[in-house]
Amino acid sequence: MRVTQSLNQAQFLAAMTQLESNLSKTQNSISTNLAFNTPSQNPVAAGSVNNYDQALAQSQQYDSNSNSAQTRLSIEDTALSQVQTQLQSLRDLALQANNSSVSSQDRTAIATQAAQIQNSLLSLANTQDGNGEYIFGGFSTNTQPFALTPSGASYSGDQGQRQVQIAAGQTIADGDNGDSVFNQIKTGNGTFLASAAAGNTGAGVLGASTVQNPAAYDGGTYAIKFTAANTYEVRDSANVLVTSGTYTDGQSIAFRGVQVTLTGQPATGDSFTVAPSTNQSMFTTVQNLVSALQSGGGNSAAQAKLSNLLGTAIENIDQALGQTSNTRATIGARLNSITTQQSVSSSQQIQLQSSISSLQSLDYASAITTLDLQNTTLSASMQAYTLTQGLSLFKYL
Amino acid sequence: MSDIFGISVSALQAFQAAISVTSNNVANASTPGYSRESVVLSAAAPQSNGTTSIGSGVNVISVTRAFNQATNNQLNSSQSSLGQLNALQNYTSQIDNIVGTTAGGISTALQDFYSAWSDVANNPTSAATRQALLGKAQSVANSFGSMSSQLNSLNTDINSRITADVQQINSIGASISKLNQQIVVSTAQSGGTPPNTLLDQRDKLVSDLSSLIGVSTTTDSNGALNVFVGNGQPLVLQGTTTSLTTVGNPFNSSQLEISSSTAAGNVISGAITSGDLGGLLAARTQAIQPVLNQLGQIATAFSQAVNSQQNAGLDLSGQFGANLFSVAGPHAVASAKNTDNTSVAVSIANVGALTSSDYVLTYKAGAYSLTRSSDGSSVALSGAGTVASPLTADGLSIVVSATPASGDQFLIQPTAQTAGSFAAVLTDPSKIAAAGAVQTSAANSNAGNATISSGTVVNAANPNLLNTTSIQFITPTTYSVNGAGSFAYTAGANISLNGWQVAISGTPAAGDTFTVKSNAGGTGDNRNALASANQQTQGILANGTISVNGAVSSLITGIGSEAQQVNTAQAAQTAVNTQAQSNVQSVSGVNLDEEAASLLQWQQSYQAAAQALKIGSSLFQSLLTAVQAA
Repeated sequence: MRVTQSLNQAQFLAAMTQLESNLSKTQNSISTNLAFNTPSQNPVAAGSVNNYDQALAQSQQYDSNSNSAQTRLSIEDTALSQVQTQLQSLRDLALQANNSSVSSQDRTAIATQAAQIQNSLLSLANTQDGNGEYIFGGFSTNTQPFALTPSGASYSGDQGQRQVQIAAGQTIADGDNGDSVFNQIKTGNGTFLASAAAGNTGAGVLGASTVQNPAAYDGGTYAIKFTAANTYEVRDSANVLVTSGTYTDGQSIAFRGVQVTLTGQPATGDSFTVAPSTNQSMFTTVQNLVSALQSGGGNSAAQAKLSNLLGTAIENIDQALGQTSNTRATIGARLNSITTQQSVSSSQQIQLQSSISSLQSLDYASAITTLDLQNTTLSASMQAYTLTQGLSLFKYL
Repeated sequence: MSDIFGISVSALQAFQAAISVTSNNVANASTPGYSRESVVLSAAAPQSNGTTSIGSGVNVISVTRAFNQATNNQLNSSQSSLGQLNALQNYTSQIDNIVGTTAGGISTALQDFYSAWSDVANNPTSAATRQALLGKAQSVANSFGSMSSQLNSLNTDINSRITADVQQINSIGASISKLNQQIVVSTAQSGGTPPNTLLDQRDKLVSDLSSLIGVSTTTDSNGALNVFVGNGQPLVLQGTTTSLTTVGNPFNSSQLEISSSTAAGNVISGAITSGDLGGLLAARTQAIQPVLNQLGQIATAFSQAVNSQQNAGLDLSGQFGANLFSVAGPHAVASAKNTDNTSVAVSIANVGALTSSDYVLTYKAGAYSLTRSSDGSSVALSGAGTVASPLTADGLSIVVSATPASGDQFLIQPTAQTAGSFAAVLTDPSKIAAAGAVQTSAANSNAGNATISSGTVVNAANPNLLNTTSIQFITPTTYSVNGAGSFAYTAGANISLNGWQVAISGTPAAGDTFTVKSNAGGTGDNRNALASANQQTQGILANGTISVNGAVSSLITGIGSEAQQVNTAQAAQTAVNTQAQSNVQSVSGVNLDEEAASLLQWQQSYQAAAQALKIGSSLFQSLLTAVQAA
């Protein structure tokens, strides 16, 4: 094999260029702390890193979504806890008023307080979040949802419920609409409402009403009519006699799985109605209470009428309290799932970051070793070149 | 006695010639293409006096060059392969750098875009988050645009390099044919003595030509060399050159192809697979076009998904959302060789079925055929090509303006031009459709505990989508719609009408009423924004199996693999080429040490011959002295 000087030269130059280019690549990796700077250096890892990057960005976005939902839910929870306080005060006022010793001035004062509570409830129902959105408006967050009317309050929102994505495939509601929180509250005991007829002349006052046997109650409307002061009969909506009996003060009357208690002495012709519960707005309940307080009182019949109205109001307030605390319970559950999801997502992010780093981050130890080796090779090859270049037979001629 | 002088003088002349040849070797040690030369010596015919035969000196028969055609051919072919890979590698590595690890910023822009949708979903009434989304949409469009313009500029670069290469090939061809003429004349004049310098020059030119384009050669008996390129198209025949020219692609005049007047149909680009020129053509078809097509496919699918979700929702003013992006549709062009003016219009029928390939539609003998360029396979077509019954294949719908002439061809590029045309067109943040189109409600008077789902839009194009519909229960198990009909109720089953779909679950009571109506005014609704944000992980391409980001990832991996594979091939070919070079050098190269040794050898021989002359002279002197003394 004949080796020529010009080939020798060309090959050395090519080798040195290659070595220098490798050296510069290693140097670049070390200064950027990246195992690869272009996809060609590790095509599969480059694609995977892109996928991981997206998953990480998405997970971080879910965190930010969670925070936003958390903020909104906390605002709602605070508002509803105040609603509870207000309803509790209202209940206390109703209890306080339901006493024959309370004078009519006192009742008027109580009515004024109740009306004020009505205003507080209204302003709570119109709570806005930090962005000026009405949180109880459903989807109509830019319209004030509630406005007082003579019979309660009107609702201009809708029944929409906004969902927020807090994880892949998991959304949670970041609020509740005004209808479900304030308007769709069952009256009475939740199954039926017992009420006294407006024209009653006796002093019969309804007490506790309970469902004895839910299966036996058919959801119908029944009238308890007093045919004499101590005789009653129960008829259904088609005026068919269901049951009848004699009445003594404080007696429970039971039929079709339900039971109502009566105290006081009803007059002949008085009647009481058992009707299935319907949805009633919290504001209507309060309005009814205020009207009852403003009108009632006086003789025993009027007192009984007031007592019956206040009894219904207290029952309805209890329903509203129950509804509010149910809503708060779901808010709590949502906040819990957010917290759970946040911890899941933070460990997920750590996992993703470590996956990305294992693919993309430089192994410094091996990079420095490589750099050292490349350096040594380059200087050795330079030395070899100068040594061989000195060899020539012409020197000895 | 006189023969001593004759012999010595012939030796002195021969060794002088040998020293000259060796010196010339030393002088040309670094001359590219120079082949080492050596003198061929031969003993002169002996003089016989009947019984003995004494040699009469030495003759220089010829000066030959050390040359091996086979080794040289090997180098030329390795030169061609390396030239091809060098050119290709130049472009794959540029694309590798342009794409980088984020697909030129596309994947980052997409992530930001979807995050911005989530932000809008978190706060649909905020003008700030909506404005931010428009900004992110613009960045997505910008990154697609910048990537496609960088790739297109590579195409322009390739065109100019093709032009330069073809010029150089023609000029080398002309030089070879001129040398052919000189060599033929010179060989004839000198009676067969090879004109070494001319041959060296010609071989050097063929070698230079090899790195530009793959060649094959034959040598005629008169010493002329014939050079062929492509599929055997002659570049040089004896003393004449057939120049290559560049012509526009019949489908795309801005794309240059190589043409030779001697080839059928003239264009020979397909047959040029090696040399710099082969590399340029390969870079265009293997490296740049597929990436542009894939980018276009991603852009098409992405914009269609985003826009159709936009169109299914309501904006802040209760109108259906406007398109967020615009892209050019498929590009279809008739071949310049078609004999009539028939045109084709192509639209996308199904984004999911779309591929990233180009297609050629051919009409021949009364039938259409469609060839997929990426794998050269024939794609089954259905339909007649009319508006009523378009030709369909691979997610495309093709309408031909009139029956074409037999042999007509059309190039269909479904996505090649899309990435470049991708633009964000929405400028009014309030026109972002964050809200769902319909909302549902249960009447407050409902006695049952049944609930209604929030409702989804399944067909945004239904003209009655926003009509108010009331679903009223006649009995707990049957319901009427808008007061008409009686339908059986199944808890949790979907109820579809007017393009929407809701589900009622629970136990309704007779008389319970549910309403589905337009969500205009539901500015706090984020269902459509949520759906848009969720598209990030939804399968949109390849029949719903690959998400947009998944497609970007595979684009990155594909480009990386291609670049890596070309890099590896180039490194391997460089080694092969180095070996071929050293083989040639081993045969033809000048080793200075060897020449130094030769110089010494010839010097000594020359000195010895001179001594012989001196001895001859002294012998002659002795004889003269003896004769004078006598």
